[in-house]
Amino acid sequence: MDAPITPDQARLALDAVERGRLRVIDEIGLPRWYWWGLALGWIALGVITDLKNPWATGAATLAFGAVHASVAGRAASGRRRTERLSVRAEIAGRDTARIVVGMVAALGCLTVGLALAAHADGARDPVTIASLFIATIIVLGRPQLIAAIRRRAARTSGR
Amino acid sequence: MTAPKFDELIHPTTRLTLVGLLAAADWADFVFLREELALSDSALSKQLSTLADAGYVEIERPVRDHRRRVRARLTPAGAAAFDGHVAALRSIVEHSERGRPRTA
Repeated sequence: MDAPITPDQARLALDAVERGRLRVIDEIGLPRWYWWGLALGWIALGVITDLKNPWATGAATLAFGAVHASVAGRAASGRRRTERLSVRAEIAGRDTARIVVGMVAALGCLTVGLALAAHADGARDPVTIASLFIATIIVLGRPQLIAAIRRRAARTSGR
Repeated sequence: MTAPKFDELIHPTTRLTLVGLLAAADWADFVFLREELALSDSALSKQLSTLADAGYVEIERPVRDHRRRVRARLTPAGAAAFDGHVAALRSIVEHSERGRPRTA
């Protein structure tokens, strides 16, 4: 049976399909409020820790963890950056949330390291200084992380 | 692997792009689709209605922030037709490349 279209037409059609997939991948990301909330929460946690009240620090850490756990499942999947569309899980990659939570854990370790270094250097509010630095990384590093997640999705989700 | 099945309904460029966008999404907002396809409201509505009549697309009208939105999602039948169509397109390309004389 003859093909209903020529190979060149089929190629053009496949290009259109691929452009659609890549366009949807461009929508992968986390809502802006997640990043700002994370950065501001980080600074607040640093300031509270520097008050040197173990109860306040413990309560703030628990509250931060609980709030992050409750929103991360929804926001950190990368599928609902905006209200415009929901990216399919197979396209967004099922481990985007794990990558984001891993990043938060790594930044937590980095905060402790920086705070210890600032304390050794004689800083008056070492955790606040460390958390301000990390909050800056969160806000400025957001586009790079999202770009990496999108590149990964484009590589791995080919139909 | 999906069996190749050329689908005349999906194949026109606008409809193929529309279904291609929906195939990568759980659902997409009407405004997003209109902007991506550079269509008027009525032209997009017509394309969506054609696909909905064939059972390929489902139109939803959820209310959010007191505003009624319109969004579309591909049905399982639509997803199967799209996969079959893409497989048919690939098959056409592969056949042509197999038949092409090799260059040294």
